[in-house]
This record gives sequence, C-alpha cells and structure tokens, in this order.
Amino acid sequence: MPPVIAVENLSKRFGSVRALDAVDLQFIRGEVHGLVGENGAGKSTLMKVLSGLEHPTSGDLIMNGSRVHLNGVPDAIKLGIVMIHQELNLVDELSVADNIFLGREFTRGGLIARRRNEDESRRLLDRIGHTLDPARPVRTLSIADKQMVEIAKALSYNASVLIMDEPTATLTERESNALLGLVDHLRQTGVTIVFISHILPQVLRISDRITILRDGRVVTTLDSRDVRTTSERDLASLMVGRSMTDYFPARGPHWDDIALSVRDLSVPNRVEGVSFDVRSGEIFGLAGLIGAGRTEAAEAIVGLRRKSTGQIFLNGSPVRINGLVDATRFGIAYLAEDRKDAGLTLNMSIIDNTTLVSLRRYSRGLLNRSKQKLATQGHALRLRLRAAALTDAVSTLSGGNQQKVLLAKWLEMSPKVLIVDEPTRGVDIGAKEEIYHLLHELAAQGLSCVMISSEMNELIGMCHRIGVMRLGRLVTILDGQHATEEQIIHAAGLETAGA
Amino acid sequence: MKRTTTLPVWIVPAIALMGLVAFTIIYEISTKGESILIKPENLLNILRQVSFVGIIAMGMTLVITLGGIDLSVGSLVAFLGGIGILLLNSLLSRGTPELMAVVGAFALIVVGGVAAGMINGLLVSKGKLAPFIATLGGLAAYRSLSMALVAGGEYRSEGAGLFGKIGAGGIAIPGTNIAPNAPLPVPLLIPWPVLIFAVVAFVAWMILNWTRLGRYIVAIGSNERSAIYSAIEVDRVKILTYSLLGLCTGIAALLVASRLASISSSSSGTLYELDVIAAVVIGGTRMRGGAGTIAGTVIGVLILGVIQNMLNLLQVSVYLQGLVKGLVIIGAVLLQRAERP
Repeated sequence: MPPVIAVENLSKRFGSVRALDAVDLQFIRGEVHGLVGENGAGKSTLMKVLSGLEHPTSGDLIMNGSRVHLNGVPDAIKLGIVMIHQELNLVDELSVADNIFLGREFTRGGLIARRRNEDESRRLLDRIGHTLDPARPVRTLSIADKQMVEIAKALSYNASVLIMDEPTATLTERESNALLGLVDHLRQTGVTIVFISHILPQVLRISDRITILRDGRVVTTLDSRDVRTTSERDLASLMVGRSMTDYFPARGPHWDDIALSVRDLSVPNRVEGVSFDVRSGEIFGLAGLIGAGRTEAAEAIVGLRRKSTGQIFLNGSPVRINGLVDATRFGIAYLAEDRKDAGLTLNMSIIDNTTLVSLRRYSRGLLNRSKQKLATQGHALRLRLRAAALTDAVSTLSGGNQQKVLLAKWLEMSPKVLIVDEPTRGVDIGAKEEIYHLLHELAAQGLSCVMISSEMNELIGMCHRIGVMRLGRLVTILDGQHATEEQIIHAAGLETAGA
Repeated sequence: MKRTTTLPVWIVPAIALMGLVAFTIIYEISTKGESILIKPENLLNILRQVSFVGIIAMGMTLVITLGGIDLSVGSLVAFLGGIGILLLNSLLSRGTPELMAVVGAFALIVVGGVAAGMINGLLVSKGKLAPFIATLGGLAAYRSLSMALVAGGEYRSEGAGLFGKIGAGGIAIPGTNIAPNAPLPVPLLIPWPVLIFAVVAFVAWMILNWTRLGRYIVAIGSNERSAIYSAIEVDRVKILTYSLLGLCTGIAALLVASRLASISSSSSGTLYELDVIAAVVIGGTRMRGGAGTIAGTVIGVLILGVIQNMLNLLQVSVYLQGLVKGLVIIGAVLLQRAERP
C-alpha cells in the first residue's frame, strides 16, 4: 500500500544541534503509527516539520507520490495534515461550535449563522460518537471533552493525517480508553493517526506499527507482527538503547518509627477525614482518580490549602503548619504536580530555581553566587541533569530535565518528608528510571516519601504501601509488594469493564 | 510547544542608547559643534534634572519586575514635600533650631514615603487589589490632599535657607572654573541629587541582583503561583518592595522640595509617574514582570533627559515635547514585543 506521507532522508538542525538526522519514515493510509522516544529524541521536531511549523534543513516530504513544501501550518492543514497539541489550543470563553469553526464560521449576510455552526458541530461530534452540547462554553468542559472538541475540529478540516501529541497524558484511565476507542474508529474510516505517547502500554495496544526514535535517528520501525510480540520493557530498551531490567529498583527496608502522621484531615468539599502514617525510609503511595482529593490532601498537609479539621504529627509531636513556609521549616518538601505553572519558574536559571527554596542558606545580606553554583553542580551531577549551562533558563530544558531541577530544588533543603505529586508526568522513560532510583536511594537514607501518582504500575513498583482515595476519603491501604492494578482500580471506583 | 527565543533584557536599552548616540552626533554636526549639549555644565544640568525621576525609577524598576506598578508616585511627591514644609515651618515658628527643624522635615518626608509605599503594598497583597487600581487611588488622593492643605496654592519654606542646601547645592570639582571672566573662579558643581541618584541606583542594583529579595522579586514577577509553591512569603515581599519604592519616592520628594524650598500643590511631581514608567520601559524591564534591569532604567532616565534637553536647545515648543516622549515610549515597547516572535 502506498504511503500517505513519506519522509525521505529528512534532517533538521538547530544551530549545531542535529534534532533530526536523515530520517526515513512512511505513514500508510488508515494506520495508527506509534511514535516513541525519549525527550529530545526528535519526536516533536519531526511532528513540527510534518505539521508545517518548522522547515527541514534537508530532505523531502512526499505526499501521495509528489513532493510537498509546507510553508506554515495552514499549508499542512490544506493538505489534510492536522496536529493536536498536548496543550490544547482552544479558546476557553467561546462555545464548542465557535471553537470548531474558529476563523471560518458559517455566516449569513455577514453575520454568524449560529444555528448552522452548532448543527455542523453536532454532526462532527456525532461522527466521533460523542454527545456534547455545541453551545456550551469550552471552559466548562473536562479535559477529555476538550480533546474531543479538538478532534472534531481536526475532522472538520477533512484531515487525512491526524497527529496526536500525548493525547492521554492528562486523562483518567477511563477517558483514555474512550479516546483509544475513538482512535481505532478513525483508523477504520481511513484516517492515518500518528500517536505520540510516553505511555507505552497504550502505544503497544493501539498501534499498527511503531517507530522508535533516538538522538534524532530512527532506531527501527516495528511492523504489526513485531508490535504484537514486543513487550513494554523491550520497547523501553529500544528507546533508551540499553536493557531495562531493573526499571523499578528493589524496595529497601524501612524503619519502624513513624515520621509523618496525618490524622482526620479534611478540606471542605475535597477531603474527608484522611488519616495515615509514613515511617522513616518508607515510600507511601496515594492512588485514586483525578478529583479523588489526593493533591488537595497533600496541599492541606503542607499548608497550601486551609484544612477544616486534622492534625499533623512529625516524629510523634503535633506541628502547626499554616503555610508552605512553615512546612519547609519542619523539613517537609512538596513537589507540585504542575511543573510548569507551580513547580518551576521557567524563565529563571537552573541555579536560581535549584536554590530558590533554600536561598536563605546562600545569603548573608548578599548572595554567594559561587556557593549557589557549587550546590547546583552537585545536584546536577547526582541527578544526571543534561543542560548546556547551569545559567540557562529552565524553559530551555526537556520535560525530564525540568523535573530533575524541580527535584533538586526540593532536595536542596534536605527534607525529612518528601511529598511528590505526579513526579514522572511527561517525563521520558530514561529520566523516569533515574527518578525512581533516586527516590529509593533517598528512602534508604531515612527519608519518608509520599508519592501521588496516576500511573498504577509506578505505585505498585515503587511503594511500600499504597493508600487509595475515592471521593475525598482514604478507602483502603494496600501492601505495595502484593497490590495489583485490579485491587487499586476496584478501590478507587473505576469501572473495569470494556469502555 | 512554542519555541520562544527571548533576547536578553539589555537589548532594548542597548538599541535606545545607540539611537541616542547617533542622534547626538547628528545634532552636533548640524550645529557645527557650537551647541552646548555636550558641554560638562550642560551634562551635569541634565543629570540634575533627571535625578528626581531617576531615583523614583529605581524603586519602580523593582516594583515592575515584581509584576506590579505604582501610579501614585507623582502625587506623593507633592504631598510628602508639602507636609515636610508644613512641619518645617511649624517647628521653626516654635523656635526649634533650624538644623533640627530641617532634619525633622526630611525625616517626615522619608518616613511618610515608606508608609505610603507600605499602604500600596498592603492593598496589593492583603487587599488583593490590582496594582493599577490600588495606586490609581493614591494618584488621586495624594494630589487632592496636597492641594486641600493649601487650597491649591504653594508650600513655601520659611527657613533661612538650610532647607534648600541639599536640593540646590552640590560638591565642587576642584580645579574647574565655568566663569573664566569672573573675579573669583566658579567651580563646576556635582549636584547632591545626582550623587544621591547614583547611590540609590547602586543600592537598587545590589538588591535586584545580589540579594534574596531580588531573586524573590524576579520569581514572583515571573510566576506568582510558582513563587507561592516555592515557600516564598509573597505578601511580605510585595509589601517590602512597594515600601522600597515609597522610600525612593520620599527621597525624591525631599530633593524636589529642597531644590526650590517650595512645593506647588498642583504642579510639583505632576506626571512623574509617566516619566518614571517610561524610563523603566525604555530601559528594557518587562512590563508584565519577571525581568528587570537597573542599568537599563538608568539609561532610560538619561535618554529621557537628553531628549528633553535637546528639544529645549532646538527650541521645540514645550507643548510638543510630550509627543516626542510618547513616541519614544511606544518605540521601546515595540522593540520589547519584537523579542518574542
């Protein structure tokens, strides 16, 4: 079958950096083509070239047999190549229909024909089997629904190639399943889907073929037979270029003394009477659906949220925490979930970010810059941070390396209790492994860790015990060694059947 | 992901400075070198003229880097200078020695500045008011207060002249003589306001670049939420930063009042907020916060001063000078925009 798009000998350089190096790749009509690789492997650059955002330095794009030259995103859209970005591009204040037809609304006599726009939107949404009132403002929708609006919008361009960048990264298990179902449906209607994701089980499940990129080159493209026989671990090994046998390090022993104790913690409408203990050297997981109250509980513990009831004990004595500043004084660190908007200050340097929480330590009236640099170098080495210079803005780093800076920032204060919220979200597999090992290493030195994650295999692989939250309550605590995804799913209140 | 290439903050002042130098050269050529523009006494004169706005601009750079703004500074200059003179006169009338009275008046002006800054800081942080609105209130209120106290007239010092020493005086540069034909040599003076401006600029530069407060200001201006999640006491930093601007405004008010030993309740400090913000913007500090440069603001202040001086020498109507200033501000902001494609 002839390819819809063929990429031939394509290279892209940014200055001296080779983002793509002689890439050859073919996308076939009606296939789901998985695209995996570590951060910085060249996935996004390739997708930007395909969607007209970047020009290749050399090489060709062949579409249906003829060479094409894409001058901007509109060119690509005209040819039927549409990209759905991870950060969705919707206008929150406009309605679903307005968003779908933004800039090319149906009009009558110069005025917008609202009814027609809504009818057409409904038709598009029907086509992807999704019912949604087209008059609703987008801001009232869940992320999953917004994604559906983006897909409907893409289809309204008569897309023949749909590029999806991390479409399920922020979806719950159930929403992900619905999305994967839709991808499968679109494939049957002849649309080619390029599926970029870090969530390897999903890639393996949905893809007809999978291309692995590493350092700007194609490692290999697995055909459908290979896909069926490839395990997640094999795929990960191909991505990082070495075997991934000890992906999760062995759990170390923990002490018996209780370092952090949370009693009857409540946040109005969010968290209801949560109690748990974490011992020295223990990694305690918090599982649950989005909205189950995990983040809210963590924020209440560290004083970022007002609690209506509840007490926190450290090493047995009660502590009053009325703000994050208090928490840090007691040696509690909190790695926020939203790396870009709450965790890091993107336009500040790596050094400034790393030392921001513990800046007091580097200041005697004036800052000691060389000491700041030295400390940051130490963390960079330990965390294997890949950065051109420590004075570079954090925004120039890949997601994985940003997450490492975030970790460094909190490790810098030498915490006794570390609460991490989705510590590996949007992080590539190599960096993930490094973060796992680091957390275990810290636990072995006596740190108590509370780990919030939506990736169940991560919790099962990492935690000594896993607390499962559901609608604001801590419903059960499972033994991490023997917990199964089914147990967690059942306790969290997820439907397992089909969907 | 959008690729944003942000150029360093100094790019705007650098371009502005080049423009200024080119402009000066053209001016010098067109006047065949006969103009007094780059004569030392004129340059010192320019420096003295800009020092009042310059001192406030140092504090404003910190506030704008923090992500705030303060529109009340101009009115505050008139109000603080006015109450300072009122105190001076009342102390003198009770027989206080002049030195004590002057020190008292200066102290009131400076402390009043800090207090006013603190109020702005409290409104913005604890009161959660938009900085623009909170300080717009001050702009109206302080002008109104200063006019009400003297029914729209003038505050005039009744001292024997000590009050005016700091605003009008300076340090003589030994060996200089600007009046060769006079019986006694008249040395060139470096005015006190210029020296104080230099000190304030140095301190502000240290604060922004070499202290914890400076890093916190940049962090909050970049992303307030991240700052909160980094255990920074955001409210305290805000109050402190606005207070520092209040301190700068107090110092400027002291010098303005002292220079003519009087304050006009209706015109002293009028539109200072405009000049101050213009200098900060021309200097390359980002209006939405997160990146600021003291050196840039100093350049911005100088550029405004030189332009004004040039226009005076060219005998351009005072009424048109605002137009030129306006165009320079818009040009500077356009340059900043060009930073992010």
